[in-house]
Amino acid sequence: MPRIDRRLLYSFDWILLAILMGVCGMALMNLYSASYPPLPYGIPPYIKQCYLFLLGLASIVFILCFDYRELHFWNYPFYILIVLLLLFVLFAGNSAGGAQRWINLGLFKLQPSELAKLALVVTLASYYSRKEQPGGYGIRDMVTPVLLTLLPFLLILKQPDLGTALMLGIIFVSMTVFAKVRWQTYGLGLILCSAAGVFAWLYLLKEYQKRRIETLLNPAKDPMGQGYQILQSKIAVGSGEFSGKGYLEGTQGHLHFLPERHTDFAFAVWSEEMGFAGSVTFLSVYFCMLFWGLYAAMTARDRFGVFLSFGVVMLIFWQAVINLLMILGFLPVVGIPLPLVSYGGSSLLTTLFGLGILMNVRMRRFQVGQNADK
Amino acid sequence: MKWSRYKNLDEIVEHDDAELDSLKKRIFFAALLILFFAAIIVGRLWFLQIYKGEEYRNRSENNRVRMREVAAPRGSIEDRMGREMVTNKPSFNVVLVREDSNDVDKLLKNIALALDLDISRLWDKLRDAEHKPKHLPIRLLEDVDWETLAYVENHNQEFPGIRIETIPARVYHYNNLAAHAIGYLGEISKKELANRNSEIYTGGDLIGKMGLERLREADLRGEKGSSSSEVNARGFEQQLLKNIEPLPGNTIQLTLDAELQKVAEDLMDAGDKAGAVVAMEVKTGRMLVLASNPVLPINQFVGGISHKNWNALLENPKHPLINKVVQAMYPPGSTYKMMTAIAGLSSGVITKDTVFYCPGHYYFGNRRYHCWKRGGHGAVDLKRAISESCDVYFYQVGLRAGVDKLAEIANMFGLGHKSGIEMEHEKSGLAPTKAWKKKNRKQKWQEGETLSVAIGQGFNLTTPLQICLMTAAIANGGKQYVPQVIEKVTNPEGKVVDQFEPIVASEFKDDNGYLKLIREGMEEVVQGRRGTARKVRIKGLTIGGKTGTAQVVRLKQYKHLKEEDIPYKFRDHAWFTCYAPAEDPEIAVTVLVEHGLHGGSSAGPVARAILAAYFEEPLRLAAEAKAAAEENKSE
Repeated sequence: MPRIDRRLLYSFDWILLAILMGVCGMALMNLYSASYPPLPYGIPPYIKQCYLFLLGLASIVFILCFDYRELHFWNYPFYILIVLLLLFVLFAGNSAGGAQRWINLGLFKLQPSELAKLALVVTLASYYSRKEQPGGYGIRDMVTPVLLTLLPFLLILKQPDLGTALMLGIIFVSMTVFAKVRWQTYGLGLILCSAAGVFAWLYLLKEYQKRRIETLLNPAKDPMGQGYQILQSKIAVGSGEFSGKGYLEGTQGHLHFLPERHTDFAFAVWSEEMGFAGSVTFLSVYFCMLFWGLYAAMTARDRFGVFLSFGVVMLIFWQAVINLLMILGFLPVVGIPLPLVSYGGSSLLTTLFGLGILMNVRMRRFQVGQNADK
Repeated sequence: MKWSRYKNLDEIVEHDDAELDSLKKRIFFAALLILFFAAIIVGRLWFLQIYKGEEYRNRSENNRVRMREVAAPRGSIEDRMGREMVTNKPSFNVVLVREDSNDVDKLLKNIALALDLDISRLWDKLRDAEHKPKHLPIRLLEDVDWETLAYVENHNQEFPGIRIETIPARVYHYNNLAAHAIGYLGEISKKELANRNSEIYTGGDLIGKMGLERLREADLRGEKGSSSSEVNARGFEQQLLKNIEPLPGNTIQLTLDAELQKVAEDLMDAGDKAGAVVAMEVKTGRMLVLASNPVLPINQFVGGISHKNWNALLENPKHPLINKVVQAMYPPGSTYKMMTAIAGLSSGVITKDTVFYCPGHYYFGNRRYHCWKRGGHGAVDLKRAISESCDVYFYQVGLRAGVDKLAEIANMFGLGHKSGIEMEHEKSGLAPTKAWKKKNRKQKWQEGETLSVAIGQGFNLTTPLQICLMTAAIANGGKQYVPQVIEKVTNPEGKVVDQFEPIVASEFKDDNGYLKLIREGMEEVVQGRRGTARKVRIKGLTIGGKTGTAQVVRLKQYKHLKEEDIPYKFRDHAWFTCYAPAEDPEIAVTVLVEHGLHGGSSAGPVARAILAAYFEEPLRLAAEAKAAAEENKSE
C-alpha cells in the first residue's frame, strides 16, 4: 500500500507548490489574453488549460502517494508504453501540418512525444543511479542509455518533430554529463554526433527544417516566411518597452501578427503587454522554480532522487531556454513550448508530472519509512 | 500486495555517500548554467524592450495602423437662381485590395466570371496600378448598379480581397445641360499626377478634365479626409482609430440661368441645329446662356469614355466636342454692319441722314459687288440700311472709312481679341487690318477686300460670344464688359469667398449719340415693316436685333440651286443677335446656327424663345396691369 506517513505531510515542500501556483497563475492569465477576444464557439483555451492544470494537480497528489523509488520498477513499463504510443501515432495518429503527433483524447490531444521526454528522464535517472561508476562511465556503459534515447528519438524524428527529438538528445547529454563520463567517451560521442549531423543534413532533414536553420543564419532572406514570425515576435517583445502596453492591450498578439500566440509564442504576448518589468518579474519566479528544483536535487536522500530532480529541472530548463531564445530571435522556430506557459495539454501534464516527482523527492528527503531508524 | 521486484524499497538505497556528495557538487555547475542563460535572456529583453523599445514600438504601430483617404464631396454647381445643376451622390465601386488576396489571378478570374466581365480589362487596370502599395484599393468597376453591389456584398466570402468602395460621384440634375461650360470629371492621368501637388492628388482621384470642373478644380475639389484603422495581420480592419472628415469643396453659383439654357439647348436640339446660343446681361457682363449644340453627352465620360463613343464624337459632322461659343469662328456676316456704321459715323464719312442709292449692286475696280437684294433698295439712309441690311450702303461706308477704322471700332466692341471669359481654348477671332495682311499674308491690302469686310465677310472671323458682347456694348452705350460665368463661390461654412463684380474691359465714348442711331436701326430690324427679323417680335416687348448670313463658300455651281438642295456643309451660317427691351436694354442674345441659311428664320426663333422666357414674368405682369387699367377705364 502507498504509505502516507503523517511525517511525510510535514516535510511536504509548500514553497515549491507556491512557486508553481504563481507561475501557473501568470500563465493562465497570459493565456486568457493570448486567446482574447474569445472565439464564439468551443471551449476557450484558458478554460481547457485550467481543467488540465487541475487534472495535473490531482495527478501530483496521486504521485505523492507513492515513494519515488517505485519508479525503479515502473520506469520500463512506462518507457515501453510511451514507445508503443509513439509507434501508434506514427501509424494512426492525427496529422497536422505534415506531421503525425497526436492521439485525440477529446479534452486534449495527447502528444506522446511530450511524455517521452519525462519517460527518458526517469529511465536515465534509474539507469545512472543504479549503475555507479566512481571514475566516470566508459564507452561500454553508454550503450544502454544511448539505445534508450535513440529509440524514441528516431520515432519522434520520423513524425517529423525535429524540436522534440533534439530535446531528447539534450536531456540525454545533460544527464550523462551530470552523471560523469570518461574523456574518451566524450571524444567518441562528439565524433559520432558530428557524423550523424552531417548525415542528417544531407539525407534526413526535411526541406522546411533546413529552411528554418538557414533563416536563422540569414533572417533577411525571407521577410515574409520563417523570418516573418521571428520578426513579429521581436516587434511584439520590443514594443512592450519598459512597462508594457497593458494587460489585454497588446496589438501584436490580438491582431494576429504574432504567430502561434497562445502556444509557442505565448511569452511574447506577456512581454508585449507587461513590458520589461513584467517579463523580468515572470522570469524571476520561473527561474526560482528551476533553482528550487536544483535545491531539491541537493537535498535528495539518494542518487536516484538527485538524478530525478536534476533531470526534471533540465527538462523544464532547456525547453524554456530554447523557447525564450526563439521568441527573442536567437534561435529558429523549432516548436518547443515554454513549459507551464504555452497552451497544450500534453506539455502541461508532462511538466506537472515532472514537478510531482520533484515534490515527491523533496517530501521523502529524510530517511522515513520502515527502515528510517536502521 | 507486491509493488516491486524488490521486497523492500530500502534494498535499492545506495550507501556510497562519497559518490552521492560528488554528484551533488556538480549541481552547482548546473546552477551556473541556468544563471548564465537567465542573464542572456534578461540581457536580450533589455536590448529589445529598453534599448530598441521605441523602434519596435513604432514598428508595431505601423504594423497595425492603416490609413486610407476619404474622398471629399466635390463642390456643387448651381445656376443663378440657386437651382442645383451638379451635385454628388454616393457611388459604389468594386475594388481589389491585393494585400487581402493570396491568389489575385484566381480571384480576378472568379470575379470576372461571376459578374460577366472582360478579364483582359481587369488585367489592364491591375497593370496600371502595379506601382501602388498593396493595401490601396484598385478600382475594377466603377459606379456599379444595386444588383452588382448586392451580389458582391453577399458573396464577399468567396472573393477575399474584393470590396465595395463608396465614393461621391457627380449627379447632373439637368443631364447634359451646359456641358461645355461645366465640363466633366475623369480619373487623374499619370501626366496630371506628375504635374500636380502630390500631397493633394493620388492615383485614382477624380479631377476636372474640362470646363469649369477643370478651371475651378481648386475651388471644387475640397480637402480629402482620412481614416486610420487598426488592421490585423490579414488586413481586416478591426476598429477605427482616427477619422478626419473630408472637407467638401466650395459651391459655385453660376451666372447661367439653367431654364434659359434649357430653352436654348432644347430648341436647337429640336431643330437638329448645330451652333451656339449666347445670352448675357448687357449692363453687367453676367452670362445667362452659353449653349453649344450638339450638346456634349457628359454621361459617356463618367468612368472613362469608350473608344467607340469617342470616335463617334470625333467624326460627328456637327462637332459636338467643340464649344462653339468660344472655340468656333465664323464670319460675322451682316451683324458686322453695325461696326461699319459706327466706323462711318465716328470717322465722319457719313451722318445719320447720308443717303446712298442702291441699284442692287456696286461697281468697284472692274468688279461688280452685289447687294443681297438683286432688285436694289433704292435710296437708303442709315436706319433703313441697318433694318434692311443693304450691302451697297455699307460697301460705300466701309470704303470711305477704311479697313483700319473698321478694325479699330470692331476691337472696341470686343471683336478680334479674346474676351477673357472663364472658358477654355477661347479663340480671338479676327478683325483684319492692312498691317495684319502685310504681316500674315505678305500681301498688300486690296481695297476690294474692304468691301467684303464692311459687310462682315472676307477675312472677318468672330465667335458667337464676341457678337453677343458687341450687341451688349451697343445696347448699353458702349461699355465692353468682361463676360463672367460665376456669380459667387461659397465655402462649406457658407462664407462667400468669391463674389461677382462687373468688370469693364474697354469703353466706346459715345459722345455724339451714334449708338442710339444704330439701335434705332436695329429696332427697325424687328419692329419695322420691312425689317429682316419681323418673326422675332414679342407682344409687349420692343426688341432691337440684327440678322446675318455668313457665307461658307462662294461656289458658282451652287448658285442656281435651291437652298434646300445645297449640301449641308456648304450652306451659309445663320446669325441673329438682339437685345431687349429696346427702351432700356437688359439682355443681349446671340444665336448662330451653322449652315442655317437665314438668320431671321433659323436663328431668330431661338433668340425669341429665350427673350420670351426671360421676360415671361414681367410681360405677364405688364399685360395684367394693362388689362386692369383698361377695365378701370371702361368703368
